Amino acid sequence: MGTRGRERMKQSSLSIDTLREVVRTLPKNGLTPSREAAVAHLDEHGLPTLRDEDWKYTDLSPVVDISNRWLTAGGQQQLPKPPSETIAAITSSIDAAWLVISNGTIDEQSVGALKQKGVEVSRFSDAPSEFVMSRPLADLNAALLQDGLRVRVTESIEKPIGILIVDRAGDSVAVAQSCVEIEVGSGVSADFIEYHASEGDADHYANTVLSIAVGDRADVRHVRIQNRSVRHVQTGRTSITAGREARLRMASYDLGGGLIRNDVDIDISEPGADITFDGLYLAGDGQHIDNHTRVDHRVGPATSSQEYRGILKGNCRCVWNGKAIVHKGADGTDASQANHNLLLSDKAEIDTKPELEIYADEVKCSHGTTVGQLDETALFYLRARGLDKRHATQILTHAFAADIVLRAPVAGVKDAITAIVEARLAELIEADAAADLLS
Amino acid sequence: MLEITDLKSRIGDSEILRGLSLSVKAGEVHAIMGPNGSGKSTLAQVIAGHEDYEVTGGTVTYEGHDLLELEPEERAREGIFLGFQYPVEIPGVNNAYLLKAAVNAKRKHQGLGEVDAFEFLKLAREKMAVLGMDPKFLNRGVNEGFSGGEKKRNEILQMAMLEPSLAILDETDSGLDIDALKAVAAGVNALRSPERAIILVTHYQRLLDYVQPDYVHVLSQGRIVRSGDKSLALELEERGYEWVREAANA
Ligand SMILES: Nc1ncnc2c1ncn2[C@@H]1O[C@H](COP(=O)(O)OP(=O)(O)O)[C@@H](O)[C@H]1O
Ligand SMILES: [Mg+2]
Repeated sequence: MGTRGRERMKQSSLSIDTLREVVRTLPKNGLTPSREAAVAHLDEHGLPTLRDEDWKYTDLSPVVDISNRWLTAGGQQQLPKPPSETIAAITSSIDAAWLVISNGTIDEQSVGALKQKGVEVSRFSDAPSEFVMSRPLADLNAALLQDGLRVRVTESIEKPIGILIVDRAGDSVAVAQSCVEIEVGSGVSADFIEYHASEGDADHYANTVLSIAVGDRADVRHVRIQNRSVRHVQTGRTSITAGREARLRMASYDLGGGLIRNDVDIDISEPGADITFDGLYLAGDGQHIDNHTRVDHRVGPATSSQEYRGILKGNCRCVWNGKAIVHKGADGTDASQANHNLLLSDKAEIDTKPELEIYADEVKCSHGTTVGQLDETALFYLRARGLDKRHATQILTHAFAADIVLRAPVAGVKDAITAIVEARLAELIEADAAADLLS
Repeated sequence: MLEITDLKSRIGDSEILRGLSLSVKAGEVHAIMGPNGSGKSTLAQVIAGHEDYEVTGGTVTYEGHDLLELEPEERAREGIFLGFQYPVEIPGVNNAYLLKAAVNAKRKHQGLGEVDAFEFLKLAREKMAVLGMDPKFLNRGVNEGFSGGEKKRNEILQMAMLEPSLAILDETDSGLDIDALKAVAAGVNALRSPERAIILVTHYQRLLDYVQPDYVHVLSQGRIVRSGDKSLALELEERGYEWVREAANA
């Protein structure tokens, strides 16, 4: 064992033996071989640690701790379901045909109810895909996954497909895995909404793996909303492959959650792709939100454009790392990355880093990051019009977020996002006002 | 209405207002002129309550109360309006939203209920028509991408909606073409009344052809060095600011 292995041993690590036992109790089905392969992969590589460059700002100890406690307790799979009102409140706020996964269990009824022309939904257990495992945490997902969903869209659809991943932590610690593979056929236009929510007081760790294969000339819009309890932990990996002249508009909103780590990988291996992906994260006391994105431009011409914005208040930390790799020969690539942060208190911390690696000749690449406070001049202007300091702060903070909210590529979700953003910002700024009174 | 006595103010280490006194009564229109850098905007910002300008001496009373005690928003609600020399662009904040929030903040302070949305829009459109503003500006971000003239008209629109007791317009006339200048003058003249006072900060006497001031003051190096009636503005125009500066130093 090399030094790396020994260092890992010093940090608390996932208990592989217990994991193996729990995996053995899962029902034997088509997923059994991939589970075993995933356990072997985990055994060899472990979970990422702070020593890994891509993970140096995000300590996964809570993931290890929650997972070990849950595994030791037997790794119960049939966890308490979120109340139907919780689910209904979400599904009725956004018009979509919803597939529901709660605490890692696919809701059969929601699968049965989804009857849209041109949409096929199937389970991994019916036709498992081969286990290809190179990404951290995707192995943990594959090891413990009860079942995955595969959604194929072969004809353009009007109504968005919603994927609701909703968890409830009842009396005891819980872990839930979900995995969804989306395939959008050539020339097909489709909208997707991915919604994460959780409730309950016990510790909870959710791990999601999502892939979207955007077909040639397909036109896909994807909105991800993460509104989990600030007590809960989530890691998620989204992998995108773009076909020839594929168009993708994606926006991601992290509005809740305690410890959140998102990895987005976009692979452009066919010419003509046009991709934008934007993000917004709001963090308050005790929250940690880490967004790592990576775009591989393997061929040109293609466009990728990214803008993430963050609003941080109180004792919290956010990370943005945007990597764009323009491979040799990917001439005609146009890649831009931006990350802007509003720090509403001096305890908030942001690590922001664009990374451009260019190996092609004819490319247009740009990046920009900013970290700042509210514009004092604008604040004074609003106060000079009679708005009190708190109201002025609220307006300017909203305006900062509004740009990204308005970019949500699916029109029907804007109201729902706005409502959550408004409520969350009011909480954050309210806390600010309370702190002002105390100081 | 406004009594300024021996006001001294500085920003950072430099003293900008150096013992300025001015008395403005209801119903009066005062013009304050002076070369660039003489402290005109500083005076306007101090009256509006900008925290960067430290008041190191003197007093300012407004309607009998110590103005310097009040927060900027309290001053605004008490009826003071500052038309900014450089109106601030605030992308993402809807112009109509700000107008309404400003009007409601003042109404609340006066113990009145919120303005009716329909009435508000109707009134705003009327005022915009007088100012030659397209109603589309209501739905744009505050001053976002506005031309210089559009920004200044927008300031006057805010003033017209807020109906202040004391309006201070900081070079609202600079950089305007003749039509915009006339529109701004019309907005100012519409506000003129025995209960209100207006202070026009201006660099040129051009605006004063359209808005007749009762008094003209010349500011130089942080002090009022000369006061007179409208003829002083004309004299300044003829003889230039050098003349006052010499007079001040004499
Ligand atoms: N924010 C500031 N920081 C430093 N100096 C300033 C600032 N604002 C104004 N000043 C200085 O104060 C003086 C008066 O400026 P100002 O009041 O803007 O003059 P006016 O409006 O008459 O042109 C100038 O010398 C200017 O450079
Ligand atoms: Mg000035």
